[in-house]
Amino acid sequence: MRRALDRLYLWSGYLAAAFLAAIAVTIIGQIVGRFFSVAIDSTETAGFCLAASTFFGIAYTYRESAHIRVTLFVRLARGSLRRYLSLWAVGMFALMIGYLTYWSFDLVYFSYKFNDISPGLLAIPFWIPRSAMALGALTLTIALIDEFVCLLRGLPATFDAAELDTAPADLKEAL
Amino acid sequence: MDAGVISLVLFALLLSLLASGLWVAPTLLAVGFVALAGFSSAPAGSLLASTVWDASWNWALTALPLFVWMGEILFRTRLSSDMFNGLAPWVARLPGGLLHVNIVGCGVMAAVAGSSAVTCATVGRMSMPELRRRGYDETLAIGTLAGSGTLGLLIPPSIMLIVYGVVAQQSISRLFIAGIAPGILIICIFMAYVMVRAKLNPALAPDAGPRTTFMDKLRASRLLFPVMGLIMAVLGSIYGGYATPTEAATVGVVGALVLAHLTGSLTRASFIESLMGAVRTSCMIAFILAGAAFMSIAMGFTGVPRVLASYVDAWQLSPGMLILLLTILYIFLGCFLDGVSMMVLTAAVVLPMVQAAGIDLLWFGIFTVIVVEMAQITPPVGFNLFVLQSMTGRDLLQVTKAAAPFFVLMLLSILFISVFPNFILWPVQYMVQ
Repeated sequence: MRRALDRLYLWSGYLAAAFLAAIAVTIIGQIVGRFFSVAIDSTETAGFCLAASTFFGIAYTYRESAHIRVTLFVRLARGSLRRYLSLWAVGMFALMIGYLTYWSFDLVYFSYKFNDISPGLLAIPFWIPRSAMALGALTLTIALIDEFVCLLRGLPATFDAAELDTAPADLKEAL
Repeated sequence: MDAGVISLVLFALLLSLLASGLWVAPTLLAVGFVALAGFSSAPAGSLLASTVWDASWNWALTALPLFVWMGEILFRTRLSSDMFNGLAPWVARLPGGLLHVNIVGCGVMAAVAGSSAVTCATVGRMSMPELRRRGYDETLAIGTLAGSGTLGLLIPPSIMLIVYGVVAQQSISRLFIAGIAPGILIICIFMAYVMVRAKLNPALAPDAGPRTTFMDKLRASRLLFPVMGLIMAVLGSIYGGYATPTEAATVGVVGALVLAHLTGSLTRASFIESLMGAVRTSCMIAFILAGAAFMSIAMGFTGVPRVLASYVDAWQLSPGMLILLLTILYIFLGCFLDGVSMMVLTAAVVLPMVQAAGIDLLWFGIFTVIVVEMAQITPPVGFNLFVLQSMTGRDLLQVTKAAAPFFVLMLLSILFISVFPNFILWPVQYMVQ
């Protein structure tokens, strides 16, 4: 179970990376197309790749403790107080994202049902890119419930270690 | 309920959720939800999904992950380790000597990294041991690093300016061009300060290093020029109207990959690591922006921004007074919030006020970024201070004291751009649209 979940977060991160690179690829297509006077409009596809990259990456980013929060006061808490504060923060996060997940699937369902189509040249049915949002939000919800259960079982939070020195991941690397 | 009361309730909720350790993005979603569900009759759930979606596939925002990725690639080349040796021969003869490496090095790194803490850490890691070995004054060395490290936020291609452009709906191209002159201005002010200090007390900067020939200088900085060339090509294509910021960023990514390949630092592992690093940073920012978009829409439904903007008229606030008040507010917020959150949290409320006062939103973007820069070196939460603290082993108080003069110098630059707003707006008028 643990390994399967960790793999889910990591591979959704890789998927996010692929979509991030895809933004660059669609833009290169547009620039090259312009040289040969072929009109390739990447505005929409780049936007869809961006949204997919953001939402598929959102659980991975959480597991890497790269989302930002104010640790000024939380850092002072020790022992069980710290655990309760972590439970509160993770629980609230899970509630909000669970709510977002529910309404994202609702949005996908209704864009499918009413055949909502993007305004650009490609006329892509909106439910396809919007599914990325729903699935990404669902992955984050899973990650948060996972964390909440781990906290209840008395395990340390994944973000504890990273926040001890309050430095973001790439910064620690730089140091 | 009165809009004034609503705004107080929401503001208190926002601050207490943040202080309790809830992440910034879900805090924004929660505040937006309470505003909609509590103080309006709009359907919160479906508005949430559609607003978050609209904010997430914004064309203007596509430049963000690409510029972050470009920085991640360049960051993994030998650029950072060559920075000190590359710049030292050029500035060694100035009064203050190698201290200028900190300032100019941060200026160059800033264009690449876009994050102030990373800029500060990368340059400092190479220069601090060198400066210490040659007997330079440590306080001044720490101060220059802390101050110039913040340039990462302003000097384009700047992540902060993209974020501002998205929340304020301003052209990112224009913001980038507008950011160049004040960035150079701040570098000049810092360098002038170091020169004056070194003239008054030569013991601060004892050893200038050996005299070198022009060819030696060129050879020492052979990696520096291609990187600077790449940045100039990126900005030039925007200035000349050849490319949108997203296209320029793509060219930047390709150029960075080529540079990394030529210097032998492009491996499969470093490529994937750079891409994953870009995912983490851009995902974090995009999530906050999506949350902010929802809160901003929700605020609109409650009518709070409109009412607050009307206070500007009612209290007869002059633009100067408003800027003064906002400077104080931002410096206060900067004591416990990071830059992106600060800018995004205040936008929904502050931007209508600023517009009501007749302040140019382009100018205001540059102003905000400089104030956010100052917030990076104010305790208790100043990311640059943390970096320097762990790098030098000094305590927070000493590092803060060392950074204090540079805080004042940045205040000076704010005064300068307030008195001469055309310093920012003038270069933008000559852009090819």
